[in-house]
Formats: sequence, C-alpha cells, structure tokens
Amino acid sequence: MWSLKSRLMYGMISGMAVLLIGFDLIVYHIISHELFSQFDASLKSAANLISASVEKDDEEDKFDFEFNIERMPEFAGGKKSAYYELWGNDGTVIKKSPSLGSEDIIRFASAKKSRSYKSFVMKNGRPVRAIAMNFLPHVEDNNSPATDTLRPLVLAVARDTGELLEQLRFLKYLLSIASIGILGLSYAVAEIVVKRGLAPLGAVAEQIDNISEDNLKSRIGSENLPDEIMPIQRKLNNLLERLQASFERERTFNANVAHELRTPLAGMRSIIDVALTRYRDAGEYRSALSESLSIVNNMEEMVSRLLMLARNESGQAALNKEQIKLAQMIDKCWGAFAGKANEAGIVFANSIDANLVCKSDAAGLSMIFSNLLNNASEYTNRSGRIEAAAQKTEHGIEIIFENTGNQLTQQQAQMVFDCFWQGDASRSSTGVHFGLGLPLVKQIVELLGGKIRAEVSNDMFSIHIYLPLG
Amino acid sequence: MRILLVEDYLPLQKSLAKGLREADFAVDVTGDGQEGLWYAKSNEYDVIILDIMLPKLDGLSILKQLRAKNKNTHVLILTARDTVEDRVKGLDLGADDYLVKPFAFAELMARIRALMRRKYEHKSPEIKTGDLRIDTVAKKVWRGSEEITLTSREYMLLEYLARRAGEVVSRTDIWDHIYEFKSEASSNVVDVYVGYLRKKIEKKGKPAILQTVRGQGYILGT
Repeated sequence: MWSLKSRLMYGMISGMAVLLIGFDLIVYHIISHELFSQFDASLKSAANLISASVEKDDEEDKFDFEFNIERMPEFAGGKKSAYYELWGNDGTVIKKSPSLGSEDIIRFASAKKSRSYKSFVMKNGRPVRAIAMNFLPHVEDNNSPATDTLRPLVLAVARDTGELLEQLRFLKYLLSIASIGILGLSYAVAEIVVKRGLAPLGAVAEQIDNISEDNLKSRIGSENLPDEIMPIQRKLNNLLERLQASFERERTFNANVAHELRTPLAGMRSIIDVALTRYRDAGEYRSALSESLSIVNNMEEMVSRLLMLARNESGQAALNKEQIKLAQMIDKCWGAFAGKANEAGIVFANSIDANLVCKSDAAGLSMIFSNLLNNASEYTNRSGRIEAAAQKTEHGIEIIFENTGNQLTQQQAQMVFDCFWQGDASRSSTGVHFGLGLPLVKQIVELLGGKIRAEVSNDMFSIHIYLPLG
Repeated sequence: MRILLVEDYLPLQKSLAKGLREADFAVDVTGDGQEGLWYAKSNEYDVIILDIMLPKLDGLSILKQLRAKNKNTHVLILTARDTVEDRVKGLDLGADDYLVKPFAFAELMARIRALMRRKYEHKSPEIKTGDLRIDTVAKKVWRGSEEITLTSREYMLLEYLARRAGEVVSRTDIWDHIYEFKSEASSNVVDVYVGYLRKKIEKKGKPAILQTVRGQGYILGT
C-alpha cells in the first residue's frame, strides 16, 4: 500500500501537471490565435492593396494591373517570399507574382464568402498561409453602365509562414520547459510541505513505536498536534489506557496464579525434602504424606475452579433450565455448612417464600448458593446471623444473602468478584481460600443472564443477585 | 546459630522450621508481619528468612524498617514472586539473598550457610581452630584425626564459639544465638552445655581449647 506521503505527492504533482498542461494549451492557443490574426490582417491588407490595383479597361476586355512591386518587394521573390495570383472568372490566370515563377497558388476561394483563409505547403516546400477573395475590379470609367455586368475576379495572396511557425514552435518549447521547471519546483516545494505537514503524524508514529508491553503507561502527547489528528490521539490514548488496564489485570492474575500455585508447591516440596533429609519412623513419613495430600487436595480444588472459570468464559458450559423452588434449593445447599455454623453459634434464616419459583439452571444455581453460603459461614462472626431473602422485581427475581461480621470496606466490597482477591492483601489464606469462589459465582450469574453486586453496611455484608424469571 | 522464619503459609512454615531445627539451628517462627518485625528488632538473629506477602505487614516493609533502624541481620527473601523487578526491589531494599518458591530445601540450607559464612567472615565451609576442625555442611567435628560426636545443642554451641574463635563470647550472646525465643531461660544452662562440650572436645588429655573468662564468658582457641 502506498504511503500517505506518496499519495499526497502523487496527487499534488499529478494535479499540478494537469493544470500546467491546461495552462500551456490555453496560452499557446491564445498566442497562436493572436499571431495568426495579425498574419491574416496583413494578408488581408496586402490583398486589399493588390485588388485595388486591378482596373478593368472598359473598352477592351482587359485588366490593368497597376501594382508597384517595388513597394512590396517580397512578391518579387526571395527568402521571405509572398505570393499573389489573380484569376478571371473563368479561372484563367490574369496575373501572378514573380515570386511564384511557374507555380500556382491553390484556388480555394469560396463562392459564398468574399474572403477565406487557408494554410498549406507550396510545391517548393514552403509553408504558407493564404487569403483568397472574390472582388469586382475597378472600372476605368466610373460612369460606364457596364459595371453591373462585371464578373468578380479571384485574388489569392499568400505569405510564407515559416517564421511564424518557428515562433510558435519556440513558444511550445518555452512553455514545455517552463512547465517542467515549475513541476520540478513544485515537487521540491510539495516534498517540503508534505514532510512538514506529516511531521506530527511521524511524531505520533514514533511515540507509538516506542510503546511496548513494558511501558504501557506512556501516552501519546498532544503537543503541536494538528486538530485533524487530535481525535486519533485521543482514541489511541483511550486504547492504551484500556490495554494497560487489561495487561495489569492479566499480570495481577498471573502473579496471583503463580503465588497460589508456587506457595503450596513450595510447602509440599519442603515437607518432602525435609522428610527425606534423614531416616524416620513410619509415623513421621505418614504425617509428611498426609500433609502433602492435604496440599494436593487444595491445589486440585483451585485448579478445578480455574478450569471451570476458563470453561465458562469460553462458553463451553451447557445450561439446562428448569423450574426451581429457590427456598428449597437454598435450604438444601445450607445443609453442607449447617453443622460447622451451628458449632460457631451462627443462626441461618431463610425467609424466601416456599412457592417462589425461578426458571434457571439447577446445577449453576446450586453452585452459586453453595459458594455464597460457604463464604457466609466462614466469615460470619461467632453467634452471628446469615439471612437469605428474595423478592420479585420488575424484570425478575432479586435474591439477597446477608451476614453479620463484615470487615470489608465499601471499596473492598467492589473487588470481591476479582479473581484471587482476598480481604488480606498478603494472600494469607493461600491453600485455604483462593479468591476464586465469588468470581465463579459472578460468572455463573452472568451466564444465567443475571447480575450480581456486593454491599456493606455497618457490620453487614450482603450479596444481591438479580435473575431473570425464565 | 539462630534463625527467624517469617512465613504465613502454615505447611511450609512447619516443615521449614522442622528441617532447620533438625539441621541444628535455633528457629523462631511467625506467620504475622508485625510479629516478625518485633522478633527481628528484639533479638540477635544470624539469618532472617522472610516471605513478602504477609498478613498485617509485608516482608519488604519489615526489611525497610529493619534497615532504617540499622539492623544489619542477614535477610533471605523467600517468595513466590519471581519477576526480575521483584528480585531487584527486594535486593535493593537491603535483602542479602532471594529465593523463589518452590525451592529445594538443600538449596535453602546452602544459602543460609553462605550467609552465615559471610556474617562471620569465613569463606570456607570448614572452620579450624588449632587442631579442632568443624565441617559446617556435614555438621561434623574432629579434634586432630578423631571425630567427636556432639548433640545438636553442643554442636550449635561449638559452631558459634568457633565462628567467633579468639573472641570472648558472653553467656547472653551464646543464649541469643543458640536458643529459640520460646526456650525457657535458665541462668546456668549455657554453663552446663559448655561443661558437656568441654568434656567431649578436651577428653583424653587433649590440651584445653575452651577457656572460661571469669565474669565475661568463654573463649575458644587462643
């Protein structure tokens, strides 16, 4: 593809060339027309003079020719020759200039026009332009009644156009040279103008070129940028901002995955390494193996959650929608955590109408409720309270899970759905909580066509799920 | 030799502490950043093994605060963060070494030994004082050509005295470097162990090598 510079240069130079050719043609046409007009005028004046010299003798059928050739020596012959030839009405040559010698001027007089002009080449090879005119000769005796019986004579006067054509050729040459010169100059000027005009684009390109994965914080500066490029600069900067945020998210995600995998691996390796530093009794080996197994189980769970997230994200999850009694399903999910919660004195209250039904995917909903209730039972304070409630809204159903013992700020509550986010930045729950439960919940809610948000108020933490009815 | 281990991932913390203790180190352990800083400031450790992501106070902040207080204990950062930036940041903040998880326990031990050598300015893993020779890697001791078998505590005491050979080492210093924080203090436990050690390294009429400096402590070698 052509560069912008080449396109501009090509456009400008082509346009300039077309304009120059047009200009040259017009100038040439005007000058040539003017020169030929002057030439024709001189032909006409010579013809008039010659025709005035022709007089008819009244008595004899003869013509007197009183043209003084010495006054116009060009008709006598020579380098800048001129020619005339006079014909009678019957086509007989009455008189011709000595310069013609044995040659004749082509008869081209039109019967309709009194004068006509023609350019042609004489037999001697000279280019000429001629005027041919029909005229009535002067009669010697003006009172003679015979004048109305006069037949018109034909006079042709020709002049050599060699010099004129030479001048026109020179004009052509001059115009061509001038045009080529102007075109060359235009090219140089256009080159400078285009270069300067495109300099801001070049500067932007250079800035973009310097942006790499490692310095996505850089932005394209707006200094000296023309108005036309400003929207591009803004769009590119917006793109960079989004790109940077996306890279940051990916980096954080990768760092978190790395941490969540490396730390338990380090634990497992350390347990095995230390166990192997000396011979031990079976009990010690059993203990090392059991600790390692526990780490493996945790890692397995984390990997399966990561896989589930990836599978959902790639749209591989199949949904099977059916009528689900929400209160019943939530009670069933709570069963898994009830024992531990009871020990901690946590009270669970499910105030959802037993007949409230939602058409959704049972496996998905069950995973959502189990994750949320598991989290609630883990983070609710001793002797605290967990509540499940639901209500119909304009577009569907809102399900709320609320628990006491909240320690998050409103700002932190907005991050609970980020992968690997944990309340404690140290990731001190490594191997216990992965920070993948709520992201998974959010993903499934969205797969089911719903929305989810977290909220904190005093010591209460609540999750609101909005699901479509069917 | 006494080590502080600040690591919050319990399985790793437990296994490392076990391995280090079995390798004759006195080990104080915590999984909490603030507590780790307190331990590091309050005791004389030979090496601190520090995780970066810790609850309450992160490892790099602990390191910064220690160096700001001119606490020059050798610090080995043990972390899952493996980027060049992380390593550079950790080392530039004053860490002496950086080990990325997961790691081989043997490598950790080697790095700890290297830090010990750097601290006590012994380039060789073998310490010699007179005809007494200690292999700090194999944890073995010879007097002349005869190998001497020591208990873990006796070895720790001897290695510490040998690293400071020629210097008078106070009982407090000995206590600080070979006993863990939670050990029950006893006024004469150091004297008792020095007695045990002396019996083993000076037996069979070998010349006395471990002297008592009255009111000050002990000196190994001359």
